[in-house]
Amino acid sequence: MRRWSILLYVSLSLLLLGGCDASLAADRHDAERLLLIQTMGLDREDGHLVMSVSSGLGPDEKPSLVMSAAASGIEDAIARLQNYSPENQLFYAHVQYLLLGEQFAGSDLDQVIEWVDRSPTLRMDTNMLIVRGTARDAVVDSSEQATDITQRLASLDRQAQASGWSVRTLREVAAALAEGDGALCLTVRTAPSDGNVFTEDQRADAVVPAGYAILNGDGLAAFLSPEASLGAELLTGDPTGLLITVEGCTLELLGGSAEIDGRFAGDGAVEGLDIRCTLQAGLLEKAEDRSISPEKLNEALSGTVGEWVYEALDAAQQLGCDYLGLRRAALKSAPDKAAAGRAWGEAFPAIPISVTVDGIVERSYDLAE
Amino acid sequence: MDEHLITRKQFAAAILVSLLSPLLRLLPQTAVAIAGAGAWLSPLPALVPVFLLAAILESFRRHMRPGEGMGGLLLRWLGPVAGRAALAVFAAWFLFYGGFILRSGTERLVSTIYPSSGQGLFAAVTVAMCLLVALGRLRAAARTAVILRTVLVGALAMVIVFSASNMDVSRLVPFSRQDAAASLAGALPLASVCGVAGIFSFLSGHVQRPKNGRWLWGTYLLALILGGIICAAVMSVFGPALSARLTYPFFIMIRSISLGDLVPRIEAVVIAAWIVADFMLVTMLLRCAHEALRTLFGLPDPETFPMGSLRGGRFLLWLEAAAVFGISLLFDLPPLQLRLWSDRYIPLGSDLVLYGGFTLLWLITLPKRKKEQSGGP
Repeated sequence: MRRWSILLYVSLSLLLLGGCDASLAADRHDAERLLLIQTMGLDREDGHLVMSVSSGLGPDEKPSLVMSAAASGIEDAIARLQNYSPENQLFYAHVQYLLLGEQFAGSDLDQVIEWVDRSPTLRMDTNMLIVRGTARDAVVDSSEQATDITQRLASLDRQAQASGWSVRTLREVAAALAEGDGALCLTVRTAPSDGNVFTEDQRADAVVPAGYAILNGDGLAAFLSPEASLGAELLTGDPTGLLITVEGCTLELLGGSAEIDGRFAGDGAVEGLDIRCTLQAGLLEKAEDRSISPEKLNEALSGTVGEWVYEALDAAQQLGCDYLGLRRAALKSAPDKAAAGRAWGEAFPAIPISVTVDGIVERSYDLAE
Repeated sequence: MDEHLITRKQFAAAILVSLLSPLLRLLPQTAVAIAGAGAWLSPLPALVPVFLLAAILESFRRHMRPGEGMGGLLLRWLGPVAGRAALAVFAAWFLFYGGFILRSGTERLVSTIYPSSGQGLFAAVTVAMCLLVALGRLRAAARTAVILRTVLVGALAMVIVFSASNMDVSRLVPFSRQDAAASLAGALPLASVCGVAGIFSFLSGHVQRPKNGRWLWGTYLLALILGGIICAAVMSVFGPALSARLTYPFFIMIRSISLGDLVPRIEAVVIAAWIVADFMLVTMLLRCAHEALRTLFGLPDPETFPMGSLRGGRFLLWLEAAAVFGISLLFDLPPLQLRLWSDRYIPLGSDLVLYGGFTLLWLITLPKRKKEQSGGP
């Protein structure tokens, strides 16, 4: 009898938490009404936050639901979007891509980090991209095409990984910014800027990588040129797969690494940085009408990549923003880490940096034949 | 008689499961906010105060008579007036702390999984469960703790393994002398968490008596190691600065775990599992408060009466549960204020009552203990 009464007691208590009554379980989700939002775009326009969302293609190839709403904040925008689609329950727990418009990334990134911290929906590991222009253009305008924005971004993600770019997550960007360093974030654009990318039937709403943006504590600091972006990728990530054309030859980077060492004065402050990059590349194509020796090709590869690296370093020093993580790398070898760390901020823009690039092109022995 | 006593392993499991509740409330964010990049090494300096407290508790345990807990010892050593006053202070703190743990546990559950829900319902159900277990035999609760320990430590290991791909150990370095010095300060929240184990001395009368109590030190060491691992794992995922900024970095880390496409999110299950740590701690606080109160009023052991009986002061357990629930409602504070209580006032109160109280007791009873050891009356 006692066991039965305990069982009844426990069951009644648990029943209260089981969602059997909608009034007691406000977070109950009806699976049949759930609409999974897969891409979220955020913009700042005329003082309002504009949220654009895309649900992605449904399981039976139903067109994706695309909506956009202007609101005072993220939660307000979510409530408004829900009103636009009363037949569905919009569900944000599976957002794969977070697109930030230029304006929004310039001033409101903290708002997103705060929201993700407090809201149990979005993940910190959501892929984050900055759109040249507005995120709404990328999300809403693509709704008329056969492929929706999530598919396009997934394709871009795969291609980016294969070609040496890195799509950073919100966590990676937030962690770098919280440490007081700058952060890199891949940018995309929705229309080709030159005629080299698409043919006559080009789709103006295609999403293509457009180099990295530099973010600092104040927001969007600058856009890097594609070349400087590749230099930055070499210093911070894994550039494997990157295609480089030098001396009429197309090379694919098979691997690369950068060693960063600091030189320190007697008082412990950094007085210079030595960066040594090593690259291994494979020869994919060579121009028919040109012959070049393997040594010259190695030299050309080193020279080209060296320029890119210098451009990336120059941007960091001009902005006074250590988005390449140089401080952390240099302090590893500092005899007095505290003194070097204290002096870093002021000294960084003027620290002399020497770069050595050793590029080796594999399978180039038959070049001269 | 012995079959009703808790074994050492069960007692150690109950302590460890209970410590996991404040451990994840304060780590890593509070430790990182104090110690910066050195927070993950804070368990090392925390060993000193934790083992000192353990040594003090062990010296008390040696003087306890069979079936006697800290409550009986306090009354015997301090006399009827001071002893009863001390028991009242300890009981009041256990109930207050229980109310806070109940609130912080439900707040964590609601804010990380059920944002639109009221906390009162979760608090009521949790305290009802705690009361049910507290009314039963302590040994049953301790046996449950052995199972819960496996579940929680297993969940912790799974979270760390599945988060490994997001970890960057370079975030834990460079490590300067200043960071090492800061890790000393970071030991404070860890020591405070492990100090909570001091409440279990009130249950010593229900535990099998080994030759010495140093086996418990392994539990404290394990709690500290787990604390260091949690700090290192979270900091290597988010970096020190972001770890200190986020409200529940460990649970945000869990949010990113996927078991492929099959189970894209598992955080609800893991976070919900963590409520059992709060459940165990609140249950033990109810029983410890009851041990203090029944010693204070000279009531018999509650386990000598049937579970549903209100005789022998067992009604006090119902009143204690109501008090814990009522106190949890008093903590209906905005998140920032609740965090202030969690990071500052509660650890301070805990340290004052447990570290301060037991150290003071050790000092003022020094002559008495020497006399007892030399065989005097």
